[in-house]
Amino acid sequence: MNDSGYRALGFVGLAVGALILAALPWLVVSYVMVWVFLLAVYLTLAVSYDIVGGHMGYMNLGHSTFFGIGAYGTAILLNKGLGLLPAMAVSTGVTAAFAAAVSYPLFRLKGAYFALGTFGLISLMGVLSSNLRDLTGGSGGISTPPGNYSIPAYYLSLLVAAGTVALNSWIARNRFGLALFSIREDEEVARAFGVPTTLYKCATLVISSIPASLIGGVYVWNVTYISPSAVFGLEIALSPIVMAMLGGTGAILGPLLGVVFLTLVQELLWTQVPYLHLTMYGVIMVLVGLFMPGGLIRTPLLRPIMLRLRSTRQIGALFRKNGKPLSASGPAAGEEVR
Amino acid sequence: MTADLVQLLAGGILLGGIYGLAAFGLSVSFGVLNVLNLAHGEFLMLGSLLSYCAFVQFGMNPFVSAVLVIPVFTTMGLLFFLVLIRPLGEKPHHELLVASILVTLGASLAIEDLTAFFWERPVTGIDYSLAPFEVGGVVISSLRLLILLFICVLAAGLQVYLRRTFMGRAIRAITQCREGAKVVGIPISGVSALTFGLGVALAASAGVFYVTLFTATPTMGIPLTVKYLCVVVLGGLGSLVGSVLGGLILGLAEALTAYYAGAEWSPCIAFVLLLTILIIRPQGLFGTET
Repeated sequence: MNDSGYRALGFVGLAVGALILAALPWLVVSYVMVWVFLLAVYLTLAVSYDIVGGHMGYMNLGHSTFFGIGAYGTAILLNKGLGLLPAMAVSTGVTAAFAAAVSYPLFRLKGAYFALGTFGLISLMGVLSSNLRDLTGGSGGISTPPGNYSIPAYYLSLLVAAGTVALNSWIARNRFGLALFSIREDEEVARAFGVPTTLYKCATLVISSIPASLIGGVYVWNVTYISPSAVFGLEIALSPIVMAMLGGTGAILGPLLGVVFLTLVQELLWTQVPYLHLTMYGVIMVLVGLFMPGGLIRTPLLRPIMLRLRSTRQIGALFRKNGKPLSASGPAAGEEVR
Repeated sequence: MTADLVQLLAGGILLGGIYGLAAFGLSVSFGVLNVLNLAHGEFLMLGSLLSYCAFVQFGMNPFVSAVLVIPVFTTMGLLFFLVLIRPLGEKPHHELLVASILVTLGASLAIEDLTAFFWERPVTGIDYSLAPFEVGGVVISSLRLLILLFICVLAAGLQVYLRRTFMGRAIRAITQCREGAKVVGIPISGVSALTFGLGVALAASAGVFYVTLFTATPTMGIPLTVKYLCVVVLGGLGSLVGSVLGGLILGLAEALTAYYAGAEWSPCIAFVLLLTILIIRPQGLFGTET
């Protein structure tokens, strides 16, 4: 099959998938719907994490703080009587401002230091949300006005997830994305070639914070209750990152694969075992780190398929114009770019 | 009021000494290995809990266990290094960062969760005290003074080790220039393994004092690692004096925050300090690049 054939097949698959997802509330029991909702939440977080972690190569372990601020902001504003959309808009603005404010000092750190520094952000927000009792309800958590919003929240979460996937792949295809790739490969060289690295890094963090904040708003609207440990805990902080890493960062299909795989594992296995979830995340992280830092999509089994899919991408055309061979993976997976 | 303040400063200095000792372990192993061990805080936690067990079961004096944990945890650190860290060294450069974060953070999570699962009582503290004495109206706990003395002796011993012995010089040489050290014939992998073990043992030893003075929980490891980062950024990489000074600043800042703003705010101060330093003086207080 040629390139256009694959492309057509892809569009048909997408359309069928979208139809099934749209019709889901009328087809199945609500249990599956809740599962798809959570899948959309994790997908949004993993794909928006991938903008910073995959494209730009900075491991932002504190990505869930944006989710948490979005969720808390929306909950507080909903309680003040605002509608859902204004509440989400305002809290997303707050999140973006927060991301901009912390990005400047944090991007002075590099590599593992940056990862640890952003990780510290989570505990900071956890402490803030338990201590500012008047605003957040303290460690007891906060409830939003009750109501059954599961169907609209389901659609909204799918919309945000689809938007995030589109945003991620759009960034990967334009000039801005190329600048991010160059930062990932060699920041010094990128700066020497005139990429405003500090500005772009800060802008990227702000961009990646927006979807996370939006999905936080949708999440709290649906579940109507959050506590500091639920949104600033380790499980919500690390599972999207583990998912993105397991699937493979820097390519849209990687996080998608990782999210579907791990949420399935969670659903089938972890609901049977009520404890030691973090241990299992830890063991998965160690195994991925030791044996396949490029993720599932770069394992020998899946590589040829990815290569074929990738060749239909526009970003591929950019590289091919210069007569360079195309690689199946982002350079983070071990390809030589230079 | 002055008595309060002195007590407060004494507490802060002790805490700072503990942080400095443990953070130096992290910074020296990062300097040699180029792998930031995010599981470092877990070893302080394990050292605390182990010495607590030894105290409860056998009535072991914390000062004895502070010495005894050093060989035990050096061995543990060596094992950790051989199983998890050394395979990372074979990876190409651009995979090293991601792989090292995943492996050490994953190990950290697993250790923490498993310990919390098997540890029945979540909060513990060693109930060990010596008769306090009074100087000019200020009550000074002799236990705290003794611990401070012990930390000073340990730090001085380390400094001598780093300056005078072959191994100490090798460690400093690798931190300064890896290639150069290789050229002059320093066995990199052997020194790396030993440094890692040493760093882990320092953290565990600091953990014994931690549990004597404060309460220890199985989940305190990851927040502690963030505090070490703050200390290392404050004090500069691979410098013992810098680490101890950075630790003192952090310890005093935490004690003062707990006193003036309330104990619930002291966990934030490390991060606030880190952000402030990064804005004002990104190269660290004492001028070295991190």
